[in-house]
Amino acid sequence: MSRTGPLLLWLTFAGPLAMIAVAPLSRRPLRLLPWAAVPGLATALLAPLDIAMEQPAVLLGLHLRLDRMAAVFLAFGSLLWVLAGAYAQSYLAGSGHARSFAVFWLLTLAGLLGVVLAADVVTLYAAFSLMSLATFGLVIHDRTASARRAGLVYIVLAVLGEITLVAALMLAASGADSLLFADVSAAVARSPWSTAILAGLLVGFGIKVGLVPLHVWLPLAHPEAPTPASAVLSGVIVKAGIIGLMRLVPADGMPDAWTEMVVVLGVVTAYYGVLVGLTQTDAKAILAYSTLSQMGLLVAVLASGLAAKAAGTLDAVTLYASHHGLAKGALFLAIGVVAACGARWRGPVLVVTALAALAIAGLPLSGGAFAKLAIKDVAGAGATGTLVAVSAVGTALLMLRFLQVLSRAPGKPAETANWGLLVPWAAAAAAAFAVPVLWGPDLAGKPAAAAMSVHGLWTAAWPILFALAAAVFVLWRRWRIPLAIPRGDLVVLGETLLRRIGAGLGRLNARLARLFQRRRRWPAPSFDGLDTLEAALRRWNLAGPALVLVAALIAIALTI
Amino acid sequence: MPVLVLSTSLVPAIVIFFLAEAQQRTRTLVNIAGALAKLALVAVMLDGVALGVAYETRLGLLPGLDLLLRVDALALLFLTLSAFLWLLTTIYAISYLGQGPHLSRFFGFFSLCVAATTGIALSGTLVTFFIFYELLTLSTWPLVVHQGDARSIAAGRRYLAYTLAGSAVLLLGIVWLESRTGPVEFTVRGSLAGVDAPTLQAVFCLLVAGLGVKTALVPLHGWLPAAMVAPAPVSALLHAVAVVKAGAFGIVRIIYDVYGTTLLHELSLGIPLAAVAAFTVIYGSARALQQDDIKRRLAFSTVSQVSYIVLGASLFGPYSTIGGLAHLVHQGLMKITLFFCAGALAERLHVHKVRELDGIGRTMPWTAAAFTVGALGMIGVPPIAGFVSKWYLGLGGVQAGHVWVVLVLAGSSLLNAGYFLPLIYRAWFVPGAMDRAPGRERPFWLIAPAVITALASLGVGALAGLAMSPLGWATLIVERNYTP
Repeated sequence: MSRTGPLLLWLTFAGPLAMIAVAPLSRRPLRLLPWAAVPGLATALLAPLDIAMEQPAVLLGLHLRLDRMAAVFLAFGSLLWVLAGAYAQSYLAGSGHARSFAVFWLLTLAGLLGVVLAADVVTLYAAFSLMSLATFGLVIHDRTASARRAGLVYIVLAVLGEITLVAALMLAASGADSLLFADVSAAVARSPWSTAILAGLLVGFGIKVGLVPLHVWLPLAHPEAPTPASAVLSGVIVKAGIIGLMRLVPADGMPDAWTEMVVVLGVVTAYYGVLVGLTQTDAKAILAYSTLSQMGLLVAVLASGLAAKAAGTLDAVTLYASHHGLAKGALFLAIGVVAACGARWRGPVLVVTALAALAIAGLPLSGGAFAKLAIKDVAGAGATGTLVAVSAVGTALLMLRFLQVLSRAPGKPAETANWGLLVPWAAAAAAAFAVPVLWGPDLAGKPAAAAMSVHGLWTAAWPILFALAAAVFVLWRRWRIPLAIPRGDLVVLGETLLRRIGAGLGRLNARLARLFQRRRRWPAPSFDGLDTLEAALRRWNLAGPALVLVAALIAIALTI
Repeated sequence: MPVLVLSTSLVPAIVIFFLAEAQQRTRTLVNIAGALAKLALVAVMLDGVALGVAYETRLGLLPGLDLLLRVDALALLFLTLSAFLWLLTTIYAISYLGQGPHLSRFFGFFSLCVAATTGIALSGTLVTFFIFYELLTLSTWPLVVHQGDARSIAAGRRYLAYTLAGSAVLLLGIVWLESRTGPVEFTVRGSLAGVDAPTLQAVFCLLVAGLGVKTALVPLHGWLPAAMVAPAPVSALLHAVAVVKAGAFGIVRIIYDVYGTTLLHELSLGIPLAAVAAFTVIYGSARALQQDDIKRRLAFSTVSQVSYIVLGASLFGPYSTIGGLAHLVHQGLMKITLFFCAGALAERLHVHKVRELDGIGRTMPWTAAAFTVGALGMIGVPPIAGFVSKWYLGLGGVQAGHVWVVLVLAGSSLLNAGYFLPLIYRAWFVPGAMDRAPGRERPFWLIAPAVITALASLGVGALAGLAMSPLGWATLIVERNYTP
């Protein structure tokens, strides 16, 4: 296996990269999409753990490694990417810009695979920026005014994130013995700039994850991107930030104040996402807010788990991320399915979607229940644990809101069915149910029995029951949500502010320009003497031979 | 060997001056043959120097004054860059200028300019350096004013005013220094030992100010944005290979081979220079953001990017030096790509302003792709070359105890993104106002050089770990010569 291991890692990349070369020339580039992630899926499922590959010549030394965390992310990420790729074939059939979509899809995938498999910081950064920049092409795909606005907000934040990240990595790597994660993360802990590095990592990765107030791109980008792109965006790409944090934040040596701040940020994000999400009227926007809420939860759990040195923190976060990725992917795909299928299909589709949605809130016996159980263990019994447990109510409410909006969406005539959409969606939903149950015992270190026990069932069920009761109550009293927060909430404030600043800078610039113009009127230095010389030099038949003479002199000098 | 290398550009220059305007075929042949011969010689020497061979030619110029041509690793770094890019620029220029007037004059000075650059790279003493440096100044001027209209002449005048003044200051510095020490050779260490500190400080300021004109250190940068009226191949050469690089190369020589870092550290001259360079980095980027003309934007970008080299050299850390030296090559590859593209766009589509770039990704996909690679590289997106130099500069800054360097780099990257990303966005994501006919990407040799240099800047970044990459070579230079 020592030979084939590195080969598999190569192939994982080479797949999408080779396709990037083919896609612009292909007449039907969308056909490539489902296959791009197949090598990744194969590697995740077939390759033994801990295979590694090293190419000292590439970049500053390319290191790839398939450890357990990488294998899980690679497996669910590739699976969702295969399914969403198949979905995209039908979804985008007949729409414009198919080549552009295929190219950016493949680039994003290549970047993501790199983030998952990277074993050193430069490879991670390279892959991360490839992914970030390429995602822009997916967000802006429709080329409408609102897609362009979402793209602008996205790219501004992404670039800010990249630059903060690279600055933090430079500070961290300067004290490290090598660029490998273990060395760099150890260097973070002992660096005199430790706080600055951690802050940089938090901002750099936090933008991807959607930590409030850096989350504003998420609710704008998700509704604008084509549905399969939203699915991978929410399902996998935002998790790249979580991967980065897990790889680089040192397991110990973080200042307490820092941990507390991160936990607070995470919890605020978790609740903020629910509250703003409930006011949304667009299904994709609701899901986007749900995603950032869930990611906030994960960040809080990660920070508190690392600080408390809770065993299995990384495994629990990985498990939760994998379940959320598949389930959220399935929910996004469901939006397209409902819109493309007739009334006959709506009932079954909605039932399955409801199960997947509630699984995110920890529906008993679902994969989500395992995942929730795992992170609750890590979060402990303190304030964080309680807040995490209660957040499930919010998640359930938000999911019910999503189902309400989805069930009102217009569909097609009764018998219409789009199998190209239905099949990948159903597969994603099934995977969301099954996969965590299969992996859960491995990763969370808990026998499945714990989730099946009466106590386990009740812990999982009460938030959902509570949310259902609340929803029924609200519907019965016919309460309406009192305010409509625009998509992207804070970004609207930010845009106004920037416009003001821009106008101010414009005025300043105009004033400066006037100042300089006034200076222009000062007598210009005179070059009369030079003028004469120049006029003579301008005729090359004088200047040319002169220079040849110089050259000849040098030549003579050389021969002496 | 050094004389042979020098003559590969000098001989074509002289031959071309004597060619009639109509002898286009011969001219092209001489040009290309010279460039290829030079490249071959450089390849041989690269191999030799890597193994530790030293090539040296010493010629008496005046009694007591030697013209010393010497090939060391640092010289080869610059020489390889200029040899490679000269070949491509010549090919490009032949396509770009086509059948225009005064081509013998143009290509003659073009070759002379490269000969001067070669001489600068090979110089082994301060005086030799100065002679070639002056030759460069003079031979570039006819290229800047090549078009002969009022704007070109004005730009040429400004160029001369700046660079001749700079040369005068440089000469003053050299004379002052050598009056105390005798002729200064780059490899002989400790020749400055007997001179008092204030003199050394003053001389250093004079030398750097003189060289800073060509390097376009703020506030000595005024000529560079003006000189962008020159034809695109000239701008490409000016910005990537010859003029600004000669200045930056000179500063590196002064810092490492004339003074030495230990002495400069004692004289506490590093940090002021680093501060000037850092200011230039930010100022150039900020000004580039305001430019509407593509070539002017690129010119201010050069002001900013070349100072990375000076910044890296003046921090005295091994990593920052490696970063700065690697950037000498990296910036050259990326910037020449951008100028090739800008020239091709101006020539084929008459695109000069940023807002006219809409939809060129569809009309000229290869050019737009090459431009994208160059621009992303400038921003510092891996795996393109710019990232590698920025990474080393940042690490070197922190290692030397100057964390603010990271902030300067981050600020510059942000500004770079601010002035390059809109261009890329317009090229690929905004539909063109008019549907331009396809088939604009001709002739082949107008487009190919940009694609080649784009691939090269991608390659030297993606394969930076190789021993013969610019990064590997810069590491070799630092390990061999500048590690105490």
